[in-house]
Amino acid sequence: MPTTMQTSSPKLKFLKLAYQSVVNNVMALILTLGMVAVSMHLYRAGPEELLATVQSLNVSSVQVLTSTFMVVFVATVYLLSKPRTVYMVDYACFKPPFTFRVPFATFMEHSRLILKDNPKSVDFQMMILERSGLGEETCLPPAIQYIPPNPTMADARAEAEQVIFSAVDELLKKTGVSPKEIDILIVNCSLFSPTPSLSAMVVNKYKMRSNVKSFNLAGMGCSCSPISIDLARDLLQTHPNSNALVISTEIITPNYYQGKERAMLLPNCLFRMGCAAILLTNKRRLGFRSKYRLLHVVRTHRGSDDKSYRCVFEEEDRDGKVGISLSKELMRIAGDALKSNITTIGPLVLPASEQLLFLASLIGRKIINPKWKPYIPDFKQAFDHFCIHAGGRAVIDELQKSLDLSAEHVEASRMTLHRFGNTSSSSLWYELSYIEAKGRMRRGNRVWMIAFGSGFKCNSAVWACNRNISGRKDGPWADSIDRYPVHIPEIVKL
Amino acid sequence: MGFFILLCVAPLLYLLIGLWQWAFAGGDKSCYILDYECYKPKDDRKINTDFCGQIITRNKNLGLNEYKFLLKAIVNSGIGEETYGPRNVLMGREENPTLDDSLDEMDEFFHDSIEKLLKRSGVSPREIDVLVVNVSMLAVSPSLASRIIKHYKMREGIRSFNLTGMGCSASLISIDVVRNIFKANKNQHALVVTSESLSPNWYNGNDRSMILANCLFRSGGCAMLLTNKTSMRKKAMFRLNCLVRTHHGARDEAYGCCMQKDDAEGRLGFYLGKDLPKAATRSFVDNLTVLAPKILPVKEVLGFIVFRLIRQLNLGGSKKRGGAAGGGSDAAINFKTGVDHFCIHTGGKAVIDGIGTNLGLSEYDLEPARMTLHRFGNTSASSLWYVLSYMEATKRLKKGDRVLMISFGAGFKCNSCLWEVVRDLEGINVWKQFIDNYPLKKIVNPFLEKYGWINNEDESTFKIPDEHLPKI
Repeated sequence: MPTTMQTSSPKLKFLKLAYQSVVNNVMALILTLGMVAVSMHLYRAGPEELLATVQSLNVSSVQVLTSTFMVVFVATVYLLSKPRTVYMVDYACFKPPFTFRVPFATFMEHSRLILKDNPKSVDFQMMILERSGLGEETCLPPAIQYIPPNPTMADARAEAEQVIFSAVDELLKKTGVSPKEIDILIVNCSLFSPTPSLSAMVVNKYKMRSNVKSFNLAGMGCSCSPISIDLARDLLQTHPNSNALVISTEIITPNYYQGKERAMLLPNCLFRMGCAAILLTNKRRLGFRSKYRLLHVVRTHRGSDDKSYRCVFEEEDRDGKVGISLSKELMRIAGDALKSNITTIGPLVLPASEQLLFLASLIGRKIINPKWKPYIPDFKQAFDHFCIHAGGRAVIDELQKSLDLSAEHVEASRMTLHRFGNTSSSSLWYELSYIEAKGRMRRGNRVWMIAFGSGFKCNSAVWACNRNISGRKDGPWADSIDRYPVHIPEIVKL
Repeated sequence: MGFFILLCVAPLLYLLIGLWQWAFAGGDKSCYILDYECYKPKDDRKINTDFCGQIITRNKNLGLNEYKFLLKAIVNSGIGEETYGPRNVLMGREENPTLDDSLDEMDEFFHDSIEKLLKRSGVSPREIDVLVVNVSMLAVSPSLASRIIKHYKMREGIRSFNLTGMGCSASLISIDVVRNIFKANKNQHALVVTSESLSPNWYNGNDRSMILANCLFRSGGCAMLLTNKTSMRKKAMFRLNCLVRTHHGARDEAYGCCMQKDDAEGRLGFYLGKDLPKAATRSFVDNLTVLAPKILPVKEVLGFIVFRLIRQLNLGGSKKRGGAAGGGSDAAINFKTGVDHFCIHTGGKAVIDGIGTNLGLSEYDLEPARMTLHRFGNTSASSLWYVLSYMEATKRLKKGDRVLMISFGAGFKCNSCLWEVVRDLEGINVWKQFIDNYPLKKIVNPFLEKYGWINNEDESTFKIPDEHLPKI
């Protein structure tokens, strides 16, 4: 992807800063100038002249009343037609018990025993693990830790119950909301879909009301969290005074690849247990103590391109074993999808200065000289924090390069990948939790969540922080945050 | 004087706001069905009585008792000779379904129905803003929604949703998703695709509560095009009036009465419990309690409340007729005052009979559901749409008619919705080729003829007759 303008010299930096402060605050500048001009005129005019002017206007009470009425009417109409603000009261992430850990040594030992007839596949897994960016504390469900794993539907349900119920219990305790107050329930889990659905399982466990609107999304990949937020947002527009519970997870148990095809063994090395439960609301009373406000959700679907569609694909290998195969062009496709998403989200979030520059570069390329490098807007101007789906080290590297982000911006993603692995759709929430645990989240900060998923989709959600959040004493990072950030070497020798 | 004027201004303001909302804000947020297309699988997928018998007998795991139980179930099911099954079962590979079998089954449906629907309605795939797919028992990555987007080259900004695991009532849940999106966004086109995946879900064991599912479910699907564009209002077929969802998952017996699980030998199957009818009735009654005030004229609802009050006062201590509000007390409320046609989920003969009794419906009212069950079987979530097409094909639907759809699903859910017919409908749909044979004067149950003797067999002396044994 083309790079941003070089701003190495201090003079250029100063110029850019000046340009930005003028363009972004142009309204304020004009108003201030106007007010200065008016007050100078008033000062010169003197009080008697002012009184005379006011009296000469000769306004009757009817006119005053009508104008007040019109102002009030227009204001009410405007307020009523505004979309309802969607608040995120709080969220909770599942913290796997220590006993589910899969350190590298365990993983390789299991691999050697299960794939003893395929040393090349074992070597491949070791190579992937060395370069993966994962740490020694990622977790797999107990059914997968058998040699060989023999997952049943009961095991899969047990994992689902454990991860989902832990996260939801914690969320309900933190927010003080009772399950009977939940009006909307959305559960997304890509690869495990029993009947009755996981949403019915949650309704059953928490004894929710019979008019709860439940939805169960599946098959939508690692980018499903913004999709659920999108659906919740629309539902909260049409249901006043409601709470929505969104649960994002991925159940590993039934999806562990048990064959020997190398391309399909890759997900086994990366995917780990995780779950996030999020409480959204449009109630003003809860809005005051909410953590975040939803600003935008932008979805991009590249399914119409065949290569993009086949890039992350569930299929059977030659022995009939089902697994997910990842194409070698994943990075390029992710880059393209990101570009499409940025094109839509840019105008919504970028400050005026960046948009003008982008427009200027666009016009310049079209009219003056097509050889000019396209200007990639500086998204660091629009956002304070970035939550990039921890899909794998390569994805984070690629995004850091494309968006010109510093190491601190992608720290949350890298550390989440290290501590929890790729937890699919819930990874964004572990990253957000990291940023909060580090005490970096301030009121007014904007967060950009970007997720990629099979299809090929790129979905983003933009949140604004509603109140100061002190460094968290609870949450999935509670016992490990002080050890982070760690330096993750390129290759960990096993 | 000023204060008095102020006092009058406030209600005037309120009135003006209300008018504005009704005129502009409420106008284009209705949900219309532009067109829909039910799927008719190719004729080489028909499953007749002979074939059903063959499939049952070739399952080595079934013993005599199971055989008898199954044949009894089929005999009483109300399913005819021309229903459709999945290809892998027809080819004898029901024990080893592959992922490709499932995907091919879905592709056959998508490429047929969605193609026809888009061509007939003149809407290009790139004009679709929302896509909702619901197939309960298949979750693949990328999702079926992505599969459709790829095949029809839909827009990048499309909002797709893939619902799974929501049972036979899922098509109304998809409509709920679309309805909510329509309320929050103007000028949208939505495509809803509903079906069920049978290929990977054939049960190969011998647990009685699970083999029943094999006998009832058949292949089918429906694709619907919805819109909230006011310019398309005149061309639309139906308008959504209201939609009510009831979820009884909080009750353990309702949640557990139909569930996918492993049997004692580790084979995956769909368990249907004995409490199913009770759970269904309960959720149905709850749903009607919420639905009735929304769709029935005030007179009827008030009359019913008064009637119930009087009865309770009269009976006082006698508890014998108190009981569950099924049968008798609901027959007192006449749904025909607010509804002209009833689309009942074709879950089975018992379901249709049950709802008919509860609502006090005549044979004419139940005919579309019975005929659909006979001709297409239980196609799960899409069955309601086959029933609707039958009504259309028999020229029952006139402008202004109201159609009530009722469906049940695992969880336990009962969803219902009321459609209003926008214009007189001609009925050029999946039933057209053979609608002249319907309604069947007498449903000759082919299973009854062939296997009816099973009802008279004595368990102790039962032996599979030679002619029914699989031919080697």
